[in-house]
Amino acid sequence: MSRILVVDDEEAVREALKRRLERDGHLVLLADSSAAGIAALQDGGPSYDVVITDMSMEEGDSGIRMLKAAVERDVFTEVIVLTAYGNVKNAVECMKMGAFDYVEKNIPDVDVFELLMLKVDRALQQRLSTVRTLDRLANIGQVRR
Amino acid sequence: MPDETPLPAPADFLTVANCLLSLSLTQHASRDFLHETLQDAVRLTGGKRAFLARVVQETGELAVVETAGEGWTEEIERIRLQPHNETQRGITGYVAITGKPYLCPDVRVDPHYVQFFAEVRSEIAAPFFDAEGRVSGVLHVDSEALNHFRREHLDWLTTFANAIAAALAFEEYRSRERLLVQIGRDLAATSEIKPLARRVVEVAAEALRCEGCSLFLLDETRETLVLQATRGYLLADVGTAFYKLGEGLTGTVGLTGQTIRLDDPRDDPRWLGRYPEFSRDERSAFLAVPILGRERTLGVLRVSRPRATPAWFRARFTESDERVLTTIAGQVGIAVDNIRNFNRVVRSERMAAWGELSAKSAHMIGNRTFAIKGDLNELKYLLAQCTDPQALAHLNMNQEVGALVESIERGVYRLEDILREFRDFVMATQLTLRPTDIAALVQETVSETFPKRSPVKLVAAYAPGLPALRCDGEKLKRAFAELIENAVSFMPEGGTLTVGVVQVAPGEGPAFVRLSPSRAYLQITFADSGPGVPAELKEKIFTPFFSSRVKGMGLGLSIVKGIVDAHHGKIRETGEPGQGAQFRIFLPIESEN
Repeated sequence: MSRILVVDDEEAVREALKRRLERDGHLVLLADSSAAGIAALQDGGPSYDVVITDMSMEEGDSGIRMLKAAVERDVFTEVIVLTAYGNVKNAVECMKMGAFDYVEKNIPDVDVFELLMLKVDRALQQRLSTVRTLDRLANIGQVRR
Repeated sequence: MPDETPLPAPADFLTVANCLLSLSLTQHASRDFLHETLQDAVRLTGGKRAFLARVVQETGELAVVETAGEGWTEEIERIRLQPHNETQRGITGYVAITGKPYLCPDVRVDPHYVQFFAEVRSEIAAPFFDAEGRVSGVLHVDSEALNHFRREHLDWLTTFANAIAAALAFEEYRSRERLLVQIGRDLAATSEIKPLARRVVEVAAEALRCEGCSLFLLDETRETLVLQATRGYLLADVGTAFYKLGEGLTGTVGLTGQTIRLDDPRDDPRWLGRYPEFSRDERSAFLAVPILGRERTLGVLRVSRPRATPAWFRARFTESDERVLTTIAGQVGIAVDNIRNFNRVVRSERMAAWGELSAKSAHMIGNRTFAIKGDLNELKYLLAQCTDPQALAHLNMNQEVGALVESIERGVYRLEDILREFRDFVMATQLTLRPTDIAALVQETVSETFPKRSPVKLVAAYAPGLPALRCDGEKLKRAFAELIENAVSFMPEGGTLTVGVVQVAPGEGPAFVRLSPSRAYLQITFADSGPGVPAELKEKIFTPFFSSRVKGMGLGLSIVKGIVDAHHGKIRETGEPGQGAQFRIFLPIESEN
């Protein structure tokens, strides 16, 4: 079971995301602001596999703060940023800073929840393979030692 | 001399002179004052009649403006003396030219005399002057007696002439003062540039008694002075006549912020004669002052006076004229600054409020829509998961459920379409400028937007060596894409889309669009062979919410226009109705300075 943190200031959005993610068997935790999200990251519990955060909450670039906090907590946590149409500049900024991907919330003719689930799956795979690679490297190190 | 006229007591003269001088202060050059002066002149000198002639500034002629004594007819009063014409000037004209008092003991042997009244035998005439020392008129008394006047009479006449001069000067100052106060009030009450410019031109021309007056203001490029208002010759050139800064006399004033005052501009090497208020061959005095704003020169106010006039009277502008024009220009500067600042504040406040409102509401609507999409996703899932035969039967019975879900989904997508258009519209003016190769950008947009398989043929022509343009490439791409999609959608059965980019040299823009005459532009054309735009809709298509199609909000072309406007460009639809639409975009290329 993978741990996923959803950060969005809109309750309806949080609930919709939680429901869809839980359908796929994920453990979903919610935060209603970037402050709450950062607190959740730092509560001492196990780290999150994926963080899904809205870009624009208190500030137009709250998502960037979330991204930083998530990576500080666990460098292998994959972050997916939800953006509004026309906010490409911030999205590109997030990608540069190591976000896994960004998803535009309102794409006409696209079931964005299915798209998001696809990206979550790929993010989990990536995290898994990174962690495995790291384990392997660690093992090699142990053997050599 | 045997028949010398006895002089009245000097006390009489002093009383009269004092009285006139104090009247000149209180009554100024009223008709009563002038008439009384003439009557006193006749009475004290024992003459027959008197008249006052004034210089007509425009022509240099002398016109009779007031008379005293008997025998005057309208015909005689209408006579204009021509001081420059030796046979027509008479003693009055001669005095005007020499500027010296004149005593004629016997008109029959006087070389300058021109006859008004057959019985006249002797005359005296004294000139008076304006504040600049120019002759502005002549006071004249005649007598039917030979050798009637004495030296003292001439001295007295000179005193009266001086009183008249003082009264006229007062009058002049007062009328200028009135005009300056009036223009100050008018300018403070005007909230638009155009009526302000027209008013200024009228007042300046009146205050300086000149025929030619033009007002130029720097356009938004801050490099070109464009004619805003004028009198006479240039009226048809308002909005198009221009000088680049430093060009010609007017451009020099605009560039240096220094006044130029010339007797004949044609003698000046900087003179171009491109937009004179009079015919190029006419000599005309010239005065141009800068219109200074708080931070920089805003424009130039200039006046000219034709000098077809005889050379004896100098039509040149005086220092006093310069002071008056500078005062007016100063008020214009303040008014223009105020109007522009006011408009800017109003506009930016409105834009800020509008921008914030739009961004907030778009964000909120977007979020809700996203959540609804989630609900919809869940609903479809639940419907698909349903295995209970009873429930399924119920759902099948009620076949509308599936149709409803689809309809809600379509509605949500439509909402998202609208939201995109709305955001594009709001964001159209928020540019991030970067030097961009426009031809490459158009090419890129075409390759991304033009359908891979389409019955429409694409013809593209890009002029070589086009300069890079500082612009927002993303936004322009959005605009170009809209035009390409539009064109293709209007040719479902096939046709041709012609795309081109060329450079337009300064001043060589086509007649259907008013471009800054001093700037170069890139022209980007999208021409199709679809149905075209009916003539009556050509203007309307760029207004928001105008749409002939079902998709979106009808903001498409208004977004395109918004983006082009934000780049200080122009867009026109110039196609022949029925033969295809032709969209032409003109984007200014930044000048090197």
